[in-house]
Amino acid sequence: MQRITRLLCTSILAVLPPLAWASDANSQARHQWQEGIATGYQSLTIQTDELDESARSYCENPAKDSRARLEGAWLDAFLAWQRVRFVDFGPIENNNRSWQFQFWPDSKNLIARKAAYLIRNDEPITPQVIRQSGVAVQGFPMMEYLLFDQQFNGGDNSLSAARTCELLTNVARHVKNNSDKLMAGWQAFRPHYLKTDQYRDITIRAGMATLEILEERRLAQPMGLRGNGKRNPYITDAWRSGKTLLTVEATVDGLRQFFLPGLATLLEAKGESDLAERIRTQFGEVQQNFPGAHLPMATALTEEGQFRVLQSLYVDISQLTTLVNDQAAVVLSVVRGFNSSDGD
Amino acid sequence: MNKLFRPAPLALTIAAALTVGCANTPWSSEKSAPATNASVVNHYADLAHANYEDALITARALDEATDRLIANPTEANLAAAKEAWLAARVPYQQTEVFRFGNAIVDDWEGQLNAWPLDEGLIDYVKADGYQHELGNAGATANLIASNSINVGGETLDVSSLSAGLLADLNEVGGSEANVATGYHAVEFLLWGQDLHGFESGAGERPVTDYARGADCTNGNCERRGEFLDSVTDLLVSDLEWMVAQWAPDASDNYRAQLTTADANQGIQKMLFGMGSLSLGELAGERMKVALEANSYEDEHDCFSDNTHNSHYYNGQGIENVYSGTYRRVDGSLVTGPSLSDLVQQSSPELDARLNNQLDASMEALGLIKARAESSENPMAFDTMIAPGNAEGTRIVNGAIMALVAQTGSIEQAARDLGIEALSPDDAGHSF
Repeated sequence: MQRITRLLCTSILAVLPPLAWASDANSQARHQWQEGIATGYQSLTIQTDELDESARSYCENPAKDSRARLEGAWLDAFLAWQRVRFVDFGPIENNNRSWQFQFWPDSKNLIARKAAYLIRNDEPITPQVIRQSGVAVQGFPMMEYLLFDQQFNGGDNSLSAARTCELLTNVARHVKNNSDKLMAGWQAFRPHYLKTDQYRDITIRAGMATLEILEERRLAQPMGLRGNGKRNPYITDAWRSGKTLLTVEATVDGLRQFFLPGLATLLEAKGESDLAERIRTQFGEVQQNFPGAHLPMATALTEEGQFRVLQSLYVDISQLTTLVNDQAAVVLSVVRGFNSSDGD
Repeated sequence: MNKLFRPAPLALTIAAALTVGCANTPWSSEKSAPATNASVVNHYADLAHANYEDALITARALDEATDRLIANPTEANLAAAKEAWLAARVPYQQTEVFRFGNAIVDDWEGQLNAWPLDEGLIDYVKADGYQHELGNAGATANLIASNSINVGGETLDVSSLSAGLLADLNEVGGSEANVATGYHAVEFLLWGQDLHGFESGAGERPVTDYARGADCTNGNCERRGEFLDSVTDLLVSDLEWMVAQWAPDASDNYRAQLTTADANQGIQKMLFGMGSLSLGELAGERMKVALEANSYEDEHDCFSDNTHNSHYYNGQGIENVYSGTYRRVDGSLVTGPSLSDLVQQSSPELDARLNNQLDASMEALGLIKARAESSENPMAFDTMIAPGNAEGTRIVNGAIMALVAQTGSIEQAARDLGIEALSPDDAGHSF
């Protein structure tokens, strides 16, 4: 499909004057992005629905099987989120929905504190309570804490304690509802997105920011390649479940599926097919690190042999970031502004 | 404090020669000469110098007040030391706009204003109300109660709490939350842990924590006094160093470098500082994270509940740089050629809009301040961010939105002045 589109584009390019082509490519890219993101959001709604159901089913009947289903559902849904995490515009901006899905990083262990507070309290944990409890309570990391935190799992409140189940099922429902709203919002947003030229740059910047965060904050910083040189697994995503590097893979995969096609269309329209191909190849290079790199971050940071696996992944992602954020951005004249992760 | 993440592509680079200040630009002011890039950068250095001088003046007053407290630990002396600390924050918070863009400031400021800090490194804490950074081996080291500490397998002799030792202990064990120096360490030593959570009330350290002999509470009062003495001395000497960096008529300081370099670079630093403080730092890290996660641990001045003023004077600093104006602590006004003058030359409409937006954000930050200082039913920042506090949420969100709006115009001003944010490979002007 993608290939046919490209062929078609090439033949149109031959007959259209450059300006008409550019505007057509912009519109085509936005169509590709719109549809790609819709696919990703759709998958998020399906996975969070399953998560919601499996949380309920586990709490009604706690057993080894239902627990395994629940843990698997949590991971699938979280990875579905990682694939669309790059989208920082449109309905995801409403009510800080992005932070509701994933409050990160949590250097002060706010999640543990919020969980302890809610579980200890006597008030029933209702959807209303979840809505008012702030972003540290409302998303995937809270469920990960309840399912995987070692210390918590060794204590009296570990699952399937009644109040912990109450918290878990309400958070799962909150995440599911948010996914549904996000999907509906994205469809409603479609006409505006397609007719507004500024979304070309906004979408490209979203991909750039994601790569930058991936390289700097999700890899370099925990690897001790920045700042004080200390390796620190606690600042990564999903350290409690040991799934950090799966989340990295999913984010890259989401960019490849939902972001790259539109980007390539624009580059090809500028006569930069080579660059588009190099970016496509580099996505492949990053993905080749897996499944070898599917190891817990704590292991990757403490065992030198495994650290090399991480280094190789890091190098591939840095190269991808350079291709997109420096080369493609310059070709497409995308100017970076201040962004919200710009301060401390 | 966390200097680890400075996304490279955010570095502003100079795209093209500036076009402002051309001979045909209309200029009808009474001023003797139109503002130029060079005169604006020069005046920016004047502002920084005056602002750091004020920070130094007020830090010296704080140092003297804490010396009196240590020598004579009375309620009155503790209150006076707290007042001196609050006064010292007013100029210092305005200087934070110089931090982003000027690496010399950013590399230095961690020793003065790092936050949030794991206060258990410094002194006793109540375990129940204390949440430290995950994986911080020094989070409960308690320097005041120890002659030697072990952090991450390394044993350190801390029997003498000299200023040099405290500076060396910053980020000990590789954790950014290990901060033994600066305003927030002093704040903790004066106020103590705020155990009120979302309720009203700040830290309540008893003055007897500095008492002699049998009156001493919580142990090690003498060492606590020694700590406070060293840390305030260090604050003064650090600020002396920074004042010297911005002093005029020196050939080998930072100001000399800045004002002899291409003036476009200076303009870029000014705008970068304004935008970064406005959006990522103040609106983002200091307000939105605290609000959306209802996290009082992410509050800036969490021991003293002075966060409203820290935010307010951060905002004031941004406005100062744009308007080229600074009200000194003695009441005098520093004025001169400004970014506003430059933008006005090329785009009066943009200049008017940005000025309005800066006013609006000061008004919104002013509302936080007024509400926190209100004589009737005051609401401090940590109460505003409590779950379900609709009024607090509205007030804090108002300030966030105003800062976001002005950042958009700061970006536009950068483009208007011929400064583009491009990828870092472009020119080697990244910082």
